[in-house]
Order: sequence, then C-alpha cells, then structure tokens
Amino acid sequence: MAMIPKGLEKQLNILDFSLSSLWRRKLKNLGIMLVFALVIFLLGSFQMLTGALTNSAEAVLENTPEITIQKMSAGRQEAIPLAYIDKLHSIYGIRTIIPRVWGYYFDESNLANFTIMALDSDSMPYGSKLNLALSQGHFPKRTEPGTVVLGRSVQDILGLEDRRIFSLFRPDLSLKSFRVAGLFSRQTDLLTNDLIVMNLDDARDLFAIPASMVTDICVYVANPTEIETIAKKIAVLLPETRVLTKSQIQKTYQVVFSWRSGFASICLLTALVAFAILAWDKASGLSPEEKREIGILKILGWETGDILAVRFWESTLVSALAFIIGCTAAYIHVAFFDASLLKPVMVGWSVIHPSFRLLPSVTLADLLLIFTFSVLPYLGATVIPAWRCSTVPPDSVIR
Amino acid sequence: MRPSHLLFIFLLLLTVIDGTLYLHAKRLGSDIKDEQALQEIAVAGLGLTDLAVATEARYTRHPAVSDPMAPFMDHPGAIEHFPTGSFWNAPENTGTR
Repeated sequence: MAMIPKGLEKQLNILDFSLSSLWRRKLKNLGIMLVFALVIFLLGSFQMLTGALTNSAEAVLENTPEITIQKMSAGRQEAIPLAYIDKLHSIYGIRTIIPRVWGYYFDESNLANFTIMALDSDSMPYGSKLNLALSQGHFPKRTEPGTVVLGRSVQDILGLEDRRIFSLFRPDLSLKSFRVAGLFSRQTDLLTNDLIVMNLDDARDLFAIPASMVTDICVYVANPTEIETIAKKIAVLLPETRVLTKSQIQKTYQVVFSWRSGFASICLLTALVAFAILAWDKASGLSPEEKREIGILKILGWETGDILAVRFWESTLVSALAFIIGCTAAYIHVAFFDASLLKPVMVGWSVIHPSFRLLPSVTLADLLLIFTFSVLPYLGATVIPAWRCSTVPPDSVIR
Repeated sequence: MRPSHLLFIFLLLLTVIDGTLYLHAKRLGSDIKDEQALQEIAVAGLGLTDLAVATEARYTRHPAVSDPMAPFMDHPGAIEHFPTGSFWNAPENTGTR
C-alpha cells in the first residue's frame, strides 16, 4: 500500500466505505440497480435492433431501382398502363424501362401474406447473377411459364418439402399451378423470405391483371447524377403518377425506425418517467437514518467534500454498473436471441417471421444518449441532497 | 479482501465479457458482409425496395413504396391497427404524392 499515492489511497478508502455502505442496504440498492439495468436494457435493445436494421437496409438497398413510377388514384396506388412506357421514351437520358407486376397473396389456410414479384429479370442489373442468391435450383427463364422461385418461409408455410408443384387461387377462386424452379438462400432471408418470384404473364394471370397493365415501372438512367432531374421530368410528363427515386427509398429506412415511432416513444417515456420518479424520490430528501449517518461522519472529522465523494461513488457505482450490465444484456439479447422480446412487436401478426441475423448497432452517440437519460439524472439526484444535508450543522441532524 | 478489490474483479469480469462480445461483433460483421453481397444481387436483380421484416400490413412490408395514405385508410383518426405500425415510423415521402 506504501506504493499507492496518498490521494488515490484516500479515494480507495472512500470507495471501500461506499461499497460497504451500499452492501449494508443491499436489497434496496440491488433492486434499484436491477430496475435501472432493465430500463437501460430495453432502450439499448431497441436502439441496437433498429440501428442494425437501418444499417442493413442502407447497405443492401444501394442497388434499389433508380426511379419507380406508380399510378395513383384517389390516394391509392393502382395498376399503371403499359402505354406510359411509350411516353417515357420521349425523355432523353433513360437507359432501361422495366415494367413489374407485384402484389400480395393472402394464403387463407395459413393466414400468411406472400409477396409476389414478377419482372423480366434478364433486363435488370445483376439479373444474370440471380442464381447466386439461390440455395438450390435456378431462376426461371422467360421461356419457362408456370415456374417460380420461393423464399424459404414460403416453402415452409406451404409445407412443400420435396414436392415441386403447388397451386394458388386466382381472384375467381380457380386454381393456378406452379412448379418450383428454385429456392432462395438463407443468406437473403432478410429480403426474400416471403417472396414468390414468377414470370410477368403468370403474375397477370394469378392476379387477373389485364395484359396492358402492370403494377409499377422501374426506370434506370444512363447518368446516375441525373436521377433527380429525370424523375422531375417524369412527374411533369405523367402528373397522375408518384415518382420515387432511389435516394427517397434509401431515406425511408433512415426514418422508419426512430425515436418518433410509437413503440420507441413509449420505451423512452417509460424510462423518463421511471427516472423522474427515482430522481424525485431521491431529491425530495434523505431518510433520517442517512442524515444521521452524515452527521456522525461530520462529527468524526469528515469534510463535506469527503461525504460528497462517498455519495458520488455510491451513485456512480449503482448507475454505471446498471448501464454496463444493461447494455451488455441488450447486445446479447439482439445478437444471440434474435431480439426475441422486441420481435413480437416488430413483426406483429405476421405469420412469416424472418430469422434475424443482425449485427447489433453499437454507436457512441446511442450509448451517450442512453447514458445521458439514465446515469446523469441519477448522479444529480443523489449527490445534490447529500450536499444539502452535509452543509447543515451535524448536531442539529443527530438530535 | 477489500471491497474495492472485489469490485475490480467484477469490473474485470465485465471487461472480459464485453471484450469477447466485441470480438464476436467483429466476426459477425464480416459474416454479414458476405451475406450482404448476395442480398445486393437480389436487390438489384429483382428491384427490391424493402426488408422483409413484417409481412402483416403493406405499409410495414413495403414502407418505401406503399400508399402514403395506407396507415390512415380506415378513418381519419385511426393511424393503424396492426401491431407493427407502432414500431415503424411513417416515412417522409416529401415531394411525392
């Protein structure tokens, strides 16, 4: 001990005293720490999960269509005539125009919603490499009508196992048969889990969409810096359409998971209310026992600074340990348990559940935000009453 | 043993756990990068716009391209009734209809 500088030795002694003091009221202090850690765990889990999804979206949606044109009618999207493509040819700078038919198929027996996607993938960027995204089979060519590629959950929910043929209902309840040509790989689950990809003609037949109509039109431009300009020209040329650019689609995922969403607001408000109650309870005054302890310490020769140091160490230990434990538990929850406590809210009544394989997003900004909401108010709420108490004459406290 | 020594041992344990988790994150990050290469092919080849996280409502399955009015379609006061709607914020489709 002789090697330890005097100042540090004093702080170590104060730390020992604080720990013993915490241990004397272990039930109360452990209780506070547990609740504290739980609130931090909830906030941390939400932030790590949504951050991970945002990061994934940002990384993979880099190649999303440059311009998407949808026809709007009475505030809702409806099928767009193929004839619009001819009008688009008048805009200089457009490289490729790809019509798509897509929509949702509700499987009544399993209550699952599938996403049906149909387009001429050969004309798409990386269209020739799509087979790499499959775990088995191949992507159907235009000359293979009635063939589909399935997402993994679709295969599971339809209970296909080794069977290759299945049927879906048309709107008039007649059956349309499909042959499975391929299965998406597990690695693309985050995007393709509920997908059934087929030919344009098959999708039109399934949804009873006339041959002259499609769901939307994807446009690729020759010079990427001109995307916004060309989008504006399209919006002027086709005023009844909604023109979405790549940057707008990418921006969507920057805002969909934010503190402004309902669930996050509730988490944050719960945390704030919890801390407000805790802070109010602490700041409203020390218990007579705590006051007497401070008085005795002052009579024994402790200075106000020392008493504040004890209080500071106590609250720092409780809040910092709760912070570390809460954040560590949040990482484990998201990384190893697929955020199983948040997932039910995240997927709601969806029957198709993707298996999340996400890298929890841990950023300094998020940690500081949680720290500011949790540790700092607690420190303030415990040190200030101790300071108020330690400045009064000790004899008046003891009597 | 002094109480502070016990605290230091506990802090050391937490450091070891968090260090292990850091290494885990590094490894997971490189695995996910490989997966993302395949995901990028799927996105480009099929023109995908959204993550298949929630499939119950079209505005949470495809928030980027769904109707801007969809969450309010039942009546003006009803934001939505699907549970996922509480998790997802409305996208800012500024400049669009």
